[in-house]
Amino acid sequence: MASAAKVEPASSTHAGVPPLRAGQGIHFWLRKLQSLTGIVPIGAFLLEHFISNAYATNGPHAYNEQVRFLTSLPFVPWLETIGIFLPILFHSLYGFYVWWRGDSNVGPSYPWLGNWMYTAQRWTGIVAFLYMGYHVYTMRFSGVHLMTNSAAAFTKVYEHFQNPLVVAFYFVGIIAASWHFSYGVWLFAAKWGIITGSNGQRKFGYVCAALGVVLVAIGVVTMVAFLTTPAAQVPAVTESLLMH
Amino acid sequence: MANNNTVLIKVKRQKDPKSAPYWEEFDIPYRSGMNVISALMDVALNPVTRTGQPTTAIAYDSNCLEEVCGSCAMLINGRTRMACSALVDDLEKPISIEPFTKFPVIRDLQVDRSVLFENLKRVKAWVPVDGTYDLGSGPRLSPVEQEQAYPLSRCISCCCCMEACPQFNEQTGFVGAATISQVRLFNTHPTGKALKTERLRALMGDGGIHECGYAQNCVEVCPKEIPLTQSIAEVGGQVMLQAFRDLLRK
Repeated sequence: MASAAKVEPASSTHAGVPPLRAGQGIHFWLRKLQSLTGIVPIGAFLLEHFISNAYATNGPHAYNEQVRFLTSLPFVPWLETIGIFLPILFHSLYGFYVWWRGDSNVGPSYPWLGNWMYTAQRWTGIVAFLYMGYHVYTMRFSGVHLMTNSAAAFTKVYEHFQNPLVVAFYFVGIIAASWHFSYGVWLFAAKWGIITGSNGQRKFGYVCAALGVVLVAIGVVTMVAFLTTPAAQVPAVTESLLMH
Repeated sequence: MANNNTVLIKVKRQKDPKSAPYWEEFDIPYRSGMNVISALMDVALNPVTRTGQPTTAIAYDSNCLEEVCGSCAMLINGRTRMACSALVDDLEKPISIEPFTKFPVIRDLQVDRSVLFENLKRVKAWVPVDGTYDLGSGPRLSPVEQEQAYPLSRCISCCCCMEACPQFNEQTGFVGAATISQVRLFNTHPTGKALKTERLRALMGDGGIHECGYAQNCVEVCPKEIPLTQSIAEVGGQVMLQAFRDLLRK
């Protein structure tokens, strides 16, 4: 944080919102980096993740094959760390900082859609962050190690989904992430000066709303694929499979 | 609401910048076409509260009474607006009247809005024409440019956009929509353009344009219907281009 302004208005005898620290500080770059990381690489990864998981609709074998393809990419630990973990960590931590400093005032005095979306963008971010923490811990860092046992991938998700609370949490997480990303795309277009007019912004709003609906739909269809696969078709995770 | 011939107003008052606020209620004789300022004038005429306690006249800023000077902005029924154009007939009763919450209170409904003037100075919101000799007439604005600039020039510095903004607070020190829109206005002006780079670099400072969360309350509450969110997007694009130029070509 920049220190207090050098020049105080002559008439000001008491506290209030400080004036612009013209040309000082680095928060412009941090905020813009946060905004950009939301689109690339996090948003790009989110789309890849939705599509890869949707392979479950083609059955356990197709799903496991897609996991095998992803885990066999070169430099996987680097891709994960630089392309996913660090950007998400930066985006989230700076996002918490943005959230903490904002004073949401949605209510009867200021009830408009944009104000609701401002508040929702903060809450969906927090929900998505909590969901991701759970999701990454359970899928990536505990249980059967999928990086070396891709053939167990479908079974691992299938077994998680035996608990209805987990299914509900996944549903909430998918909505939060889809919402946060879709409105994030809209915000990016507005705040980087790509779509500036109210007419264009309204139309692009419909496009982003459609994007969000499509993402949630893909997520739901994927979840249904896991929930409706008969137990007999789910590969048993045996010692020989784990050696595979 | 004793009868149909009076209007109940509740005013949040404060004796000085340091003291605690308190509420007072007044029954104002009803006249058709009255506005919030005329109601406050009626209190000054007869400074007695609803319960018959003598009190002082309410301090407030106002001047033109036609939504042009920008002085009389306050919270009316919780929302920021100009008191002169707040017609009593259109308002829900009882009417609550409060000073701005994000500006230091001087007394009653009077607040110190000098932060806007300070921000306008920091982004050089003017056309540089001073010199030691007559510079002659400047370049002409095309009608298209005039039509874009005129709505922006209607800003009355009332600070409604800043009061309604969730990002305008002491933590962020956000500059607010009005100043950003003035940057757009003066960057559009053929002579004002001379300071464009300096204005854009100023807005990259802490509390600058990146603090906007695009809640869009500013454009909803603006009494002059200035396209503030469009200004923020346009200037946001100009700032990004300037940032890339500074990053790659400096």
